[in-house]
Amino acid sequence: MATDDPTRERRGCRIQARELTRRFGDHVALDALSLDVAPGEAFGLLGANGAGKTTFIRLVTGYLVPTTGEVTIDGLSPGGAPQAVHARIGYVAETSRIYPELRVRGFLRFAGGVRGLAGDVLHEAVERTLERFSLRDVAGRMVGNLSKGYQQRVSLAQGFLHDPPLVIVDEPSSGLDPLQQGEVRAVLGAAGGERTVLLCTHDLAEARELTQRVAVLRAGRLVALGRTEEVLGGDPLALFREDGAP
Amino acid sequence: MIPLRALIRKELAVLFTSPVAYLTLAMVGVVTALVFFDHLRVYNQTLFVWASTTMGGFETDTIPDYINLRTLVFLPVMEQLALMFIGLVPLVTMRVFSEERARGTDELLATTQLSPNQIVAGKFLVAYLFVAIMLAVSFVYPATSIVTAGLGLKHLVAVYVGLFTLGIGIASIGLVCSAWTTSQLVAAVSAYAVAFVVYDFSWATAFVRDRESLASLLDAISIHPRFGGFAEGLVIGADVAYFAALALVCFGLARVSLDLERVR
Repeated sequence: MATDDPTRERRGCRIQARELTRRFGDHVALDALSLDVAPGEAFGLLGANGAGKTTFIRLVTGYLVPTTGEVTIDGLSPGGAPQAVHARIGYVAETSRIYPELRVRGFLRFAGGVRGLAGDVLHEAVERTLERFSLRDVAGRMVGNLSKGYQQRVSLAQGFLHDPPLVIVDEPSSGLDPLQQGEVRAVLGAAGGERTVLLCTHDLAEARELTQRVAVLRAGRLVALGRTEEVLGGDPLALFREDGAP
Repeated sequence: MIPLRALIRKELAVLFTSPVAYLTLAMVGVVTALVFFDHLRVYNQTLFVWASTTMGGFETDTIPDYINLRTLVFLPVMEQLALMFIGLVPLVTMRVFSEERARGTDELLATTQLSPNQIVAGKFLVAYLFVAIMLAVSFVYPATSIVTAGLGLKHLVAVYVGLFTLGIGIASIGLVCSAWTTSQLVAAVSAYAVAFVVYDFSWATAFVRDRESLASLLDAISIHPRFGGFAEGLVIGADVAYFAALALVCFGLARVSLDLERVR
């Protein structure tokens, strides 16, 4: 379980979604979703494949525009103030969005550069991140030649590189073997800390281990919202099923 | 500007880790050598035949005006290099946007400090830089004409300004085709199709002869009539403006493709 010490200073971003809807043609991917994520919270977004989790994340990052409703990060709309929102976000997509022809250090330098880091600040951020994510031994290797677990670690590292107050992680252990899943969770658990983490997953164990609160989506609709141990306490799989039956 | 610089460095690194870039540059070197020396050989032979069959020998006054480096070497070389550009540049531009989409790295770029304009500008600038490198490779042989044959540098500069603007035009077409698809093959084939059609509309004027305005419009948007002046050694503002406008239109279309991705 993620730490939830009330005496610790709460940092990070606040995410607010109001009646957020996204359609792709006739298909409603997200249907009038409203939820709040508090600063410093580790929040899980659960649901079966196609439930609308990734769509929600893409609306938060501004990669997609909502059909109706709004989402804000610290009161800023991703559509209205994209630069300010992106400065607050570290984004780790579902599959490793990396350039296989770049070396690990070069890729991290690029990731820092496009987030506005330069000179000594960039150098220090890259070296710190290599150390933090145990990537120093592979820093000179091509990203495409690394194992899938290491590639995911590189992908995670770029999301934390600029020390953002909000980290959005989409299915971080998807497609990894159990050993690699454990490694990624350990990395994610240690790297979270004092920032808002929005974790999108369909892995219940991962949600239990890494989040304080969760929301469960089904067919684009919010079907449960609350503390992780409460929502996932009974028969959580029933929340995933279309008919909701146990 | 820091994010744009980082993007440009990344684009260059990705481009030059690909064998396509080196193969393309090697092809430019080989084809330019073959085309240039072949025309130079024909020029020398013509000159020799003419000189040996006249009483005047190599006296300047006895050689007719049409036997000159400009007409017999540079005009045809430029025509053939232009066609080579249409053949080679889309091979380099095809992956620029489509590969980002296919890999999903466009999502990574879209969530950074880069604005959509900067993303498009960075990619266009690197493609233009590659065109400049292609030209630098092809410049080696004509440059020997300046050194050994005393050909005017100004004329050659005009020729290369023309080839560069043409290269920018072809690269822009290739980039916009890449921006509207996730398939590199589709990007390359559509770039070839568009570039060859826009290259010269003279074939179409026969069909629209009775509609003068349409015929002149087709002529106005054709690439081919626009770089004839450069081959003559003239840098005409209207021709440069044509290629700049072509690049701007392609830039705008590529930018629109990024916007449509968000509202699709």
